[in-house]
Amino acid sequence: MNRRQFLGLSATSALFAGLTGSACGAGTHAAFDLDALARPDLLSILGPDVVRAIGLHYRRLVPGENQVPALHGAILATRPWPSRVPWPVGPSIADMVHDDFAAGRTIVVQGWVLSVTEARQSALFSLLSA
Amino acid sequence: MHIDARTLPNGSVLEADLCIVGAGAAGISMALEWIGSRHKVLLLEGGGFEYEPAMQDLYRGEIVGLPYYPLQAARLHYFGGTTGHWAGFCSTLDPIDFEKREWVPHSGWPIRREELDPFYVRAQPLLELGPYEYAAADWQRRDPTLVPLPLDPRVVWTKMWQFSPPTRFGSRYRDPVVAAPNVHLYTHANVCELEANDSVTSIQGLRVRTLDGKEHRARAQYYVLACCSIQNARLLLASNRRTPAGLGNEHDLVGRFFMEHIEMPGGQLALAPDAADPKMYGMEFGVTKARGELALNGAVQRERRILNGTVSLEAAAPGEEAKSNFQWATPELLAAFREWEAHGRAGPPPAGLPEPPPPGSRLFHLLARQEQAPNPDSRVLLGTERDALDMPRAKLDWRLTQLDWRSFHVFYEVLGRELGRSGAGRVQLLDWVRREDGTWPSTLSGGWHHLGTTRMHENPRFGVVDATCRVHGLGNLYVAGASVYPTGGAVNPTLTLVALSLRLSDHLKRTLA
Repeated sequence: MNRRQFLGLSATSALFAGLTGSACGAGTHAAFDLDALARPDLLSILGPDVVRAIGLHYRRLVPGENQVPALHGAILATRPWPSRVPWPVGPSIADMVHDDFAAGRTIVVQGWVLSVTEARQSALFSLLSA
Repeated sequence: MHIDARTLPNGSVLEADLCIVGAGAAGISMALEWIGSRHKVLLLEGGGFEYEPAMQDLYRGEIVGLPYYPLQAARLHYFGGTTGHWAGFCSTLDPIDFEKREWVPHSGWPIRREELDPFYVRAQPLLELGPYEYAAADWQRRDPTLVPLPLDPRVVWTKMWQFSPPTRFGSRYRDPVVAAPNVHLYTHANVCELEANDSVTSIQGLRVRTLDGKEHRARAQYYVLACCSIQNARLLLASNRRTPAGLGNEHDLVGRFFMEHIEMPGGQLALAPDAADPKMYGMEFGVTKARGELALNGAVQRERRILNGTVSLEAAAPGEEAKSNFQWATPELLAAFREWEAHGRAGPPPAGLPEPPPPGSRLFHLLARQEQAPNPDSRVLLGTERDALDMPRAKLDWRLTQLDWRSFHVFYEVLGRELGRSGAGRVQLLDWVRREDGTWPSTLSGGWHHLGTTRMHENPRFGVVDATCRVHGLGNLYVAGASVYPTGGAVNPTLTLVALSLRLSDHLKRTLA
C-alpha cells in the first residue's frame, strides 16, 4: 500500500479504531500523522532493513493488524488520554513507547524486545516504505 | 623453604603446627599470612612450579549429567593453581547473596556480607587490585568519561568489576614463600588420604604420595584443605578408611551442591545513537582496571523470585555469532595462551583469543553471568577409575534446575524492557531464550567456577563446614576455597575465596595462640 491508497482509507481507519471527532484529527498533531507513525525511532537504532523485517513478522504474528488502517487505529486506540483532551497535551509517540516498556506492554518480534507501539510502527513502516 | 617431595627418603614424616593442602589462590593467600610467625607451616602442593601433563592428568575425571569442560583442563595442578590461567575478574558478592531467600532452596550463609568486608579489603592488594571501591560512582569520579547507562537502579544497576593484572600466584608469590623459614613448601607432594583418629573426631595425619612411588606422612595440629571444590570433595570422599562415606560426610553432603556460574550469551544490545559512550562497560585484557556489568537489583530478584545475575557488554560485529566460554576457550587455546604468557607474551597472541572491541561499536553481545541455584543433585562423586596415585578419580554430575532456566529468561526479559524504557537501546534475544520449553542449548557453558561441594552451614545436617570453615565433627580440619560457598552469587569467586582464606587464617592464628 502506498501513501495515496492509505489516505483513501484513513477515514475507515478512524472508524475501525472506534475513535470520535478529535481522534480522527490525528493528522492535525505532528506526532501522530502518518509520516511520524511510520517512522519509528527504532529506525535510528536498528536501521530500515531490520525494522522492515520486524514489521513483516509483526503482521504475521498479529494477522488482525496486517493493514494500515488497523495498525493506525491500534496505535491511536492505546493512547491513554481521552479523546476530549486536545492533542497537543497528549503524549508523544516516544512517550507511548517509553510507557509501554515501563508497563510491560512489550512484544518479542524476531527476538527483539519491543514496545507494542513501536512494533506496530514497524509494521506500518513495512507497509508504507515498500 | 622449598623441598621437592620426590627427593625425600621414602616414608619421611613432615611435621608442623599448620598444614595447608594445596597451593592455589586460597592456600598461598593463607601461607603468606603466616610468614614470620612463630608457627611452622607445611604447604603441600601436588604439582611443581611448572605445568606437567602427568600431574595434570591426576585431575582428569568423568563427566555425567550436563556436558562440562574437561576437568583436567579446567583446573591447574601446580604451584599457583588455576591462577596460572585465570583472567583476573574480581568483584564482591552482594548482600542479598548472603541472605536466606525463601524462593531459593538451600540459600543463606551463616555470615553476612559486612563480616567479610574487612577481608575483602585485605584481599585487594594480594590480587594486585585497586582500592576497595566497587561503586560505579567511585570509578566515574576517577574518570568522568566512564558514564553508566541511564537505567533505573531499582531494576538494573551498574555493578563494577576490577581486574587483577591477572596475578599469577605461582610466579608472584614463589619467592616470598620459598624464602620464608617457617613456611615449608613441599612440591610434588600429593595428599591421597586424610587419616582420622579412631573416634573420627580429628585428623591425625595425611598420606602423601609422589608419582615416582614414594609415600610420606604429614602431621600437624591443624589442617586446611585448599585444593579446589572438586578435589576437596574428592579427597574427603576418598578418605574412607574409617567411615565408608568419607570424612565430614555423616549427612551425605560432601560433593553435593556443586555450583557453577552460567556464563553464556543470551542476547545482544543495539545501543541507541544518542546513548552515552559505553566505555564504562568495555574491557581490554591487561589494560582495563575496572568496568561495569549490568546487574539485577535485589528487589527485582525478590519480586520475580529469581536468582542473581549480571551481563557484560562485549562489542560485536554485525552478524557475528556470540560464543559461550566453553565454545571459544578450548583446552588447546588455553594451553597456547599459557605458553604465550610463559614467554612474556612475546609475539602475536594465540589465534582464537577474543579480539579487542572495534572502536565505536554500537552492537554488543550480552553475556550472562548467572548464579546457579544450590542443588543437592548437582554433585562430585568418586568414579570407578583410579589415577596414577591409586586415588579414585572424580566424577562430576553437573545439574541445573528450572529456577536456573527461568531466572535466565526473566533476566533477559527484564533487561530488554529496562534498556528499552531507558532509551539506551533495544535487546534481541537469542533463539533458545525465546523458547518456552525449559531446555538449555548445546552451547550451555559455565565460567570454570567450581563452588559449593563442602558448603558452609551452622547445622551439620545442612553443611559440611561451620561458619569458621571447620569441618563439622572434626576438630582440626578446615576447608579453604570456593567449595565452602553455600551460594555463589553472580561474581567470579577468586576475590571472595581469598577474603575467606584470610578470615580463616585469622581464626587459626587465634586458635593456635
